[in-house]
Amino acid sequence: MAQITQRQEVRTFLDQIGSADILVGIPSYNNARTIGHVVRAIQAGLAKYFPNRKAVLVNSDGGSRDGTMDVVRRTRIEDQAALLLHHRVDPTPVIAMPYTGPPGKGSAFRAVFEIADALGAKACAVVDSDLRSITPEWIELLIRPVLNGEAEFVAPLYHRHKYDGTITNSIVYPLTRALYGKCVRQPIGGDFGFSGKLASFYLAQDVWQTDVARFGIDIWMTTTAIANRFSVAQSFLGAKIHDAKDPGSDLSVMLYQVVSAAFGLMEAYHPIWRDVRTVDAVPSFGFEYTVGLEPVQVNVGRMTGVFREGVRNLTEIWSDVLGKGDLIEVTRLAELPDREFRFPPSLWTRIIYDYAIAYHRKQLSAEHLLKSLTPLYLGKTASFILEAESLGQEDAEALIEKLCSEFERAKDYLIARWQ
Amino acid sequence: MKDFLNLIVEPLNELFGKFAAFLPNLLAMLVILILGIIAARISRALLIRFLKAIDFDSWADRIGVTSMLRKGDLWAKPSLALAAVVFWLLIIGTLTAGMSALKVPAIDQLIAQFLQYLPRALSASIILVVGYVFTGFLSRAVLITAVNSGFRAAKLLAESIRLLLTVLILAMVLEELRVAPGIVLAAFSIIFGGIVAALAIAFGVGGIDAAKRIIERETRREAGKEEQQDIEHV
Repeated sequence: MAQITQRQEVRTFLDQIGSADILVGIPSYNNARTIGHVVRAIQAGLAKYFPNRKAVLVNSDGGSRDGTMDVVRRTRIEDQAALLLHHRVDPTPVIAMPYTGPPGKGSAFRAVFEIADALGAKACAVVDSDLRSITPEWIELLIRPVLNGEAEFVAPLYHRHKYDGTITNSIVYPLTRALYGKCVRQPIGGDFGFSGKLASFYLAQDVWQTDVARFGIDIWMTTTAIANRFSVAQSFLGAKIHDAKDPGSDLSVMLYQVVSAAFGLMEAYHPIWRDVRTVDAVPSFGFEYTVGLEPVQVNVGRMTGVFREGVRNLTEIWSDVLGKGDLIEVTRLAELPDREFRFPPSLWTRIIYDYAIAYHRKQLSAEHLLKSLTPLYLGKTASFILEAESLGQEDAEALIEKLCSEFERAKDYLIARWQ
Repeated sequence: MKDFLNLIVEPLNELFGKFAAFLPNLLAMLVILILGIIAARISRALLIRFLKAIDFDSWADRIGVTSMLRKGDLWAKPSLALAAVVFWLLIIGTLTAGMSALKVPAIDQLIAQFLQYLPRALSASIILVVGYVFTGFLSRAVLITAVNSGFRAAKLLAESIRLLLTVLILAMVLEELRVAPGIVLAAFSIIFGGIVAALAIAFGVGGIDAAKRIIERETRREAGKEEQQDIEHV
């Protein structure tokens, strides 16, 4: 596949710049409404916290038709005094270009890694283009630990509503933590800092024509960094508020993409995770503060309804994946009234491990297998919402920690059945 | 008396003569069948060992053959499935060779017809296998999607699709085999049309409430009144 750095306009840009200390990448696709704010925050962050460093901003676009790249090219910080900037600020060099390869965030990141590699960047960061809550401080928090040599990969740490991020909270975080032994709270946060060395390492991996290029790049970056022994940290960024999601986006497709990426990595890194026996905290940066979060509306009845439909109709598939014992337990759950509906952490852990094993053994087409997880996931989410309804943020977090412990305790079950 | 005995013995002699002439052919057929079955079994065993040695199942996994078989509810290992196909092809070849060893004109003619028919049988079996895999895949996809959407008659919908596709594929197979094509076409039209009409009536009569709910939900969604679900899953 043609490298992005072979393109004329990119080549010219690279020749002009020569080298850079810092590179910030923004993947985008039709984000003209929000990307201006993100670019301003990055420029302000670079000017405020790294005035003596040579920095570049790269917008890797997926063929937007709403003028996203034009917005990036013409956005500048207008009122420097308002940002308390008293030194002279040169505009950050910006390149906005369409990426090559399969359409997806992974291909967008690949272009960013290529440019970082070509410029010999020391520290890089990538942030989403639809962020509304990004501030200049995010850039410092993602870049500084890398420049200071305190970490080679910086994951984000957000304050989120207790009901938000349920795929992360009930699957990806406990699974990643139990498998690879690092407490990275937001492994699929999407806004990361990393060293130039790690960018080159990512670039050298033979994954850019696989699903990693389309979806799952976030968990791939986190897992690749941990599994290959790069030093990992996390930075507290405050609240993550982004553009309203596409109402047509399908939960089961999202679940399939996230979980298949995590399970796919289990195949690749089996020799690493089977030997991990301890779980360690990772260094955290940033000043943690309480964030006022908007209330979240949930329809628990609909969730339990889909779960019960699953029990009525998907028993054949579930029986093959979970086995008779756990299927009976799931069926019993479906008979409980909503107020008593609770998904035991041990059962949920076995379900995820059984699905990982079924995925490994190719018991069913990956898409059907993981989409059949949706009713179970909605059942688990409904149970968590009912349980956390009267709890504060910290107590709700304690429930997630309890689930993580269960994943760690049951890891031997996964290892034994994986063979 | 002697003439009378000749009348009885001669046909018997003739029959015995014919049988004596036919016996080597029969023995040849039996030998061919026995050797063919043994050869087919040995070939199957050797093929399985060879496929295992070259890690055929892993290769089939990687290129998606296993996944395709699973989609169609075929659970045998790809190496065993391929060995079974080769075994049965050898058995069919053995049977054909054995039958032609009998040197019976009627059988020879039948074999010639069979050999002429073979390409059609082959394409019909390909339609059957691909159709079976496709039907299994599609009906399961419909079932999972319908369940995930909270549709109450998910299984009925998936089974209806499986039935419709099965009828369609069987009709295609029979058409390919040239089995009474006129009757097949008429039967297919009647059965397929009948199923569609039955489903339409069943939904119309039994699903009035469901249809009403769907229309009301769509109307609410258009009016923006449907209960919002703000939760962010990722």
